[in-house]
Amino acid sequence: MTEIVATRTAGVSPSRVLIGAAVLFGLGVWAWMLYGGDGASRALSFSLIAGVAFGIVLQRGRFCFFCNFRDFWNERDPRGVLSILVALAVGLVLYHVVFLAWMPVPAPDRLPPGAHIGPVSPVLALAAFAFGLGMAISNSCISAHLYRLGEGSATAPFALIGAAAGFVIGFATWNPLFLSVISEWPATWLPHRLGYTGTVAISLAALGLLTILVLGLACVQPASRAEPQTLVNVGRRVFIERWPAAITGIAVGVISMVAYFRVAPLGVTAELGSLARTAASGAGFLPETLYGLDGLRGCATAVKQAIFSDNGLFVIGLVLGSFSAALVAGQFAPTPPTRSQIARGLVGGVLMGWGAMIALGCTVGVLLSGIHAGALAGWVFLVFCVVGTAVGIELVRRLTKAPAS
Amino acid sequence: MYLGALAGGVVVAFALASAASAQTGPLVTADWLRENLDNPDVRIFEVSVDTGVYERGHIPGAVHLNWHTDLVDPVQRDIASKEDFQETLRAAGVTPETTIALYGDNNNWFAAWGAWVFDVYGLGDQVAMLDGGRKLWEARGLPLDTETPSYQASSIEIADRNTALRARLSDVLDAAEGRADAHLVDIRSPDEYSGKIFAPEGVKELSVRAGHVPGAENVPWSKAVNEDGTYKSPDELKALYAEVGIDGSKPIITYCRIGERSSHTWFALKRILGYDARNYDGSWTEYGNSVGVPVVNLAGTVWTGK
Repeated sequence: MTEIVATRTAGVSPSRVLIGAAVLFGLGVWAWMLYGGDGASRALSFSLIAGVAFGIVLQRGRFCFFCNFRDFWNERDPRGVLSILVALAVGLVLYHVVFLAWMPVPAPDRLPPGAHIGPVSPVLALAAFAFGLGMAISNSCISAHLYRLGEGSATAPFALIGAAAGFVIGFATWNPLFLSVISEWPATWLPHRLGYTGTVAISLAALGLLTILVLGLACVQPASRAEPQTLVNVGRRVFIERWPAAITGIAVGVISMVAYFRVAPLGVTAELGSLARTAASGAGFLPETLYGLDGLRGCATAVKQAIFSDNGLFVIGLVLGSFSAALVAGQFAPTPPTRSQIARGLVGGVLMGWGAMIALGCTVGVLLSGIHAGALAGWVFLVFCVVGTAVGIELVRRLTKAPAS
Repeated sequence: MYLGALAGGVVVAFALASAASAQTGPLVTADWLRENLDNPDVRIFEVSVDTGVYERGHIPGAVHLNWHTDLVDPVQRDIASKEDFQETLRAAGVTPETTIALYGDNNNWFAAWGAWVFDVYGLGDQVAMLDGGRKLWEARGLPLDTETPSYQASSIEIADRNTALRARLSDVLDAAEGRADAHLVDIRSPDEYSGKIFAPEGVKELSVRAGHVPGAENVPWSKAVNEDGTYKSPDELKALYAEVGIDGSKPIITYCRIGERSSHTWFALKRILGYDARNYDGSWTEYGNSVGVPVVNLAGTVWTGK
């Protein structure tokens, strides 16, 4: 036992730990300086801190929608998928606590402010499918590429560039899709149909069934070692080893509710989309008006007016929070990209960017924040994104095996 | 000695609280409102336009009035119908004895619009605005709450619209073409007034002509407030409008782009100074799109259809 501890902690470098701590401290100082005494600057400051917390949790829990699904699909390892199911259940319940305070009755003509409740249409299904395909090709979803950027991933920068390009294609195709399909379909909020109790009960039942399914199909896990709660052991489990599924899921669910309660629902693509839209509009590539976008709920994107937005600071916090956690854990390992990584990042990124623009968000903005908020769109995204991911994994397997056979 | 001072303070506070249901005047201070948070005869309304501002923290007990649905007709361009507005007030438990305190974000612009709508429906004497609005309340670090309150419904009956508080296009045209003796106050920025721009930065252009109504004086709304967003003193306001010849001797019509910032100036002229003032809620987005009406465009900006 002591030998294992010794070899595992040997990777910890004091200088990296110091740099990681300094980055965290610097982020704290920045958040403190952002606060200017008014509501807007308070939101900026809070967004940065929420982003840091989210980045640390994603890195420590390896909360990556694609890898978690792939581990289950290929290896029947249930841990990652369970952390997603726990995050969905916890956030769902906590969101409804907020709803009960803000909108004690789900009045038919009102929606909770800012919650991601987007329209449900065949276009959403197609966009979620494309997003899943893109995740499988680029090896991560957009939020995971952002936290992997903090780990020095070689694919992540190309996937994000691809996603920005995908966003531009999304903007260019939005108007015809909106006018011919999306505008005809409703933004279904489950509490309008089922009430708050019905929404929570049915959603939790669905998540429970999925949990039983996942555990039923899972391979048997080795029993966890019982080890004494010494400082070294606990420190190793917090700072170096992957967090247990339940802890990660609970943390994601709590951060989701806290972010919604204070500023806005979790989402990682609004800023990326805004940057892409601002650049492409400046170059004259895009229609000046994107129909209906301002009236829809989700990670909507606007042409930038200020340098720092709430979502921009959230994403910066996410990347740097993950960076600090990865440094401390000895998991910051930048490598030069291979050709295959560049190509897969760009192609997968384009698919994800297009999907995230048309679906008004990604696995975080629509799947997580949507299901938390009782949006039918979140569930539709979940189903079609999983189908797209499964198809993508099999497609990639065949394509990469082809030369060998 | 100390106890005596304490007792005196309690007596003063009690006197302040019990005076709440009495007439407060057009403005209340943040301190007054804080003293009256638990007063059942005071109903506070927040009129904020930014999404989620109310839900994420409002003055304790405040009811949300949604500008886009509760104060206007969501289909045709008009203020809320009598039936709808009455229903909103009943749900909030407003009675003829209630002191109504309004406040909001964006410098109280939309709260002032609310004050105007309340006045149009005959509730002007019951309405006061929190001077400085949400901005001042927050800047002073006063408490906010996230719970949505519910009150026992009332059965208040409100009056029909008082058309003497509302100017329509024909009234503005009569003033512009000299058929009526009235002052016009354009409270937009000097660049909008002169016709250099169609709409302020960040706002969609909604009129196809730039400029202002002939004869209108330009007194931007912001001149009526202090640094902290509170209204200037009545004497200062009087002097401000007297500079452009507005002294209350003639009827006044205020307008802006969509009628909400002009409510802020309307409130100063009508409620604080007691002048005969009407708000033109059609404002430039109606006038600047009307065919055949006279326009003064100092800058000569031509609309190119883009």
